[in-house]
Amino acid sequence: MADPILRVTDITKRFGGVVAVNKVSFDVERHSITAVIGPNGAGKTTLFSAISGFRAADEGTVIFENTDITRTRADEVAQRGLIRTFQLVRLFRQMSVLDNVRVGLHSQTRGGFAMAVIRPAWFREQERRGIDEARAVLDKVGLLGQENAEASTLTYGQQRLLEVARALAAKPKLLLLDEPAAGLNRVESDNLAVLIRKIREGGTTVLFVEHDMDLVMRVAESIHVLDFGQHIARGTPAEVKANPAVLKAYLGDISEPVALKAEMI
Amino acid sequence: MADSESSATPSLALPPRIARGSRSMRIVVISMAVIIAALPFVASTYVLSLLVLASIYAVLAIGLDLFMGQTGQVSFGHNAFAALGGYATAILTTAHNWPPLAALAFSIVISVIAALIVGVRTLQLRGHYLAMATLALGMIAYTLAVQLTSLTNGFAGITGIAPLGIGPLELTSDLQYYYVVWIIVALGIWSSFRIKDSRVGRALGAIAGNEEAASALGINAARLKLIAFTISAAYAAVAGALMAHFIGFLSPEVFGLDLVTLLFAMLFVGGIGTIYGPVIGAVLIALLPAILGPLADYRQLAYGVILLAVIMFAPSGAFRLIADLAERLFDRSSEGEKHG
Amino acid sequence: MSLYLQFLASGLSVGCIYGLVAIGFSVIFNASGIVNFAQGAFVMLGGTLTYVLYERAGLPIWFAIILSIFLSALIGMLFEVTIIRPLWKRNTSLFIMMLATLALGVIAENAVLHTVGDETHSFPPFTAGPPLQAFGASIARQTVWMAVLSVLIMILLNLLYKKTLLGKAMRACAVDRNVAPLLGIKVERMLTYSFGLSAALGAIAGILITPAQYTAYHIGLTFSVMGFIAAIIGGLGNPTGAFVGGIILGLLQSFAILFFDAGFKDVIAFSILLVFLLVKPSGLFSSYVEE
Repeated sequence: MADPILRVTDITKRFGGVVAVNKVSFDVERHSITAVIGPNGAGKTTLFSAISGFRAADEGTVIFENTDITRTRADEVAQRGLIRTFQLVRLFRQMSVLDNVRVGLHSQTRGGFAMAVIRPAWFREQERRGIDEARAVLDKVGLLGQENAEASTLTYGQQRLLEVARALAAKPKLLLLDEPAAGLNRVESDNLAVLIRKIREGGTTVLFVEHDMDLVMRVAESIHVLDFGQHIARGTPAEVKANPAVLKAYLGDISEPVALKAEMI
Repeated sequence: MADSESSATPSLALPPRIARGSRSMRIVVISMAVIIAALPFVASTYVLSLLVLASIYAVLAIGLDLFMGQTGQVSFGHNAFAALGGYATAILTTAHNWPPLAALAFSIVISVIAALIVGVRTLQLRGHYLAMATLALGMIAYTLAVQLTSLTNGFAGITGIAPLGIGPLELTSDLQYYYVVWIIVALGIWSSFRIKDSRVGRALGAIAGNEEAASALGINAARLKLIAFTISAAYAAVAGALMAHFIGFLSPEVFGLDLVTLLFAMLFVGGIGTIYGPVIGAVLIALLPAILGPLADYRQLAYGVILLAVIMFAPSGAFRLIADLAERLFDRSSEGEKHG
Repeated sequence: MSLYLQFLASGLSVGCIYGLVAIGFSVIFNASGIVNFAQGAFVMLGGTLTYVLYERAGLPIWFAIILSIFLSALIGMLFEVTIIRPLWKRNTSLFIMMLATLALGVIAENAVLHTVGDETHSFPPFTAGPPLQAFGASIARQTVWMAVLSVLIMILLNLLYKKTLLGKAMRACAVDRNVAPLLGIKVERMLTYSFGLSAALGAIAGILITPAQYTAYHIGLTFSVMGFIAAIIGGLGNPTGAFVGGIILGLLQSFAILFFDAGFKDVIAFSILLVFLLVKPSGLFSSYVEE
């Protein structure tokens, strides 16, 4: 692949005696919607943590936008435009919905303690613009009416949306979503599919980990499959569905290959 | 597969946002300002001196609230910075005849340096580890104040500390200290609100809410925690220096663990994270000996009981209660505006 | 040489006391994750109650000792039921619970100050007689009792935890608080017992050390912190490790006094704590690693 936005090479991560991620390599194409799937314990979240700088890999490299970010700290990775969300919702519970999103603007803005107290004109303008931008993002995900509510009062589905909104405010070049559909009902995950496509149309590449096969098959253009920490398959949804190694990973050893139906998983 | 949350972070539960700019809040704040301005005219000399002490504690409390309330961290050792500021001022003005403002500046600088050195490693700790590490630092500072008698005179203390002033203009009366320190407190409150309602304040709130999520959005949590810690240390140093000038005498007892208990009582009685709350807490706690009257000897016991009572029955603190009450009385607005 | 032995002996025996306090601290921490600032208050209560019952109420010393251990355990359980449990049910943060124990420690200290007074007190050692002589060192008899009885109690505790149903239930709660109820274990009651046990251990520690030095209203905080330091050295989550941590702390402190001023002994302890927190917070013998 020419000029991938993300190139992961031979990433390996061990926890004591367990090899959680074992020489995983793949590329993510610019402006694509790519999914990483695999049975529980396959190492998907560990991989995400390694890519985004939360738990550096033991071996291997991560190249983002032609820059080596393998050992880069999480906040610096985010400053470069790689934003991740978390598997369990991690909202700033006591802050308002609007303020949660405004935190997302951090990497796009400047000004620390001194500026906060002195408040020169450019700072005040930045704060004003920030509110507008945050509102625009909330509108995009459909939470504009809740902007003043305390984040902890939202429904679970709304909280997941808020987390995505917050990440979007950071204007990511690459958005890593860790199980964005977890716990969502059918309507909510349909809306999520629409949102993911909208995000991609806005110029952001989306890489997500997911268990919801329905969502994956509908929305992903490229899928990578992990099992026991190893990369075992890649391809389009159709290719992956028919791949015997994938079937074996999910269903165990079976004597005849069976077409993978979304409902079976 | 469960995402491992940092389980060892007993971060403080920040109080829900209080609507600012609402009519009830404006009334509350203006009332408080009027009361503070008018109190010296009705208070006895004893109460006035307690109120000056209250204002000095308020300075400490505002700084600590930035670190513990806004940033959601914990420090059991801020008595160390107060001691550092107090003793630096005392030693420089008595033994070396420095002008008070120069000594004050030096006290702040030395506290800031100490905070940076200490904070760089210590702030990587979280939860009770951070609590105990800061406790250790605070206790070491206290013990050093007691033991390094060649410098500090130990329990005998340093006497004859000159009043605070610029050249011939000195603060000599309680009343003068009262207004000067309360103006400092007001400036502190003003700065804290400016910080809270800004990009960096939201970043601090994010760190308090969930440090990893904050990092995932590009916030350098380590750096911001260190800066907040340093700023709070500077406030503590100022408070220590003011204490030295006001009382004219300095000894280690005032900087022991009792001060830590006192500070927590102030922060929680008032309402941690609310900025006004710790100031109110400082006043209430400082006035306690006056309220106790003949039972003033029991004040330490009272601090403990009050802290426990607040934790059990009013964990959001007095300011929250006042704000809610004012809201009910003065805001004729609908339910929807409650979380402004 | 005999000087070193002297310091070794005193370091060991004080270390055993720290070890007992550390175990008590560990018990509560394992059961709930709460850092119990009031642990030292029980040390103070053990010695002070015994003094009051023996000296002021005129009870026989052995009866005073047993009664004060019992009363301390009761106070511990009372504290758990009236303060800790309601906070626990409200999902209060661990920090605030820690503050509550700090407040309790302050209250206990001041309550004793205003009732018993501010002087130091003591009561007779367990066996009378001149100090023992060993290799040129003079070792007070009480010192021997401190070491021997502490180790005995530590062994008994291990038996309790490993052999009795109650002990196993308490360990189960420590290992997995959410699964324990599924086995029919009443977690909340285990928490109460933990506080009671902890208080008793603290009281015993106080009773053992008082004849060798003294008891007074203010000794609580120092023992709380020493207990915590010992538990950190040994590794949180490991009561036996905590005991060993106590001995290590006692020895280190003792030898530090040999080379520095006695007034700095607390600084030494706090510095040891800092070193461990910054370098090896999981301690020497930790049974688990916190993320």
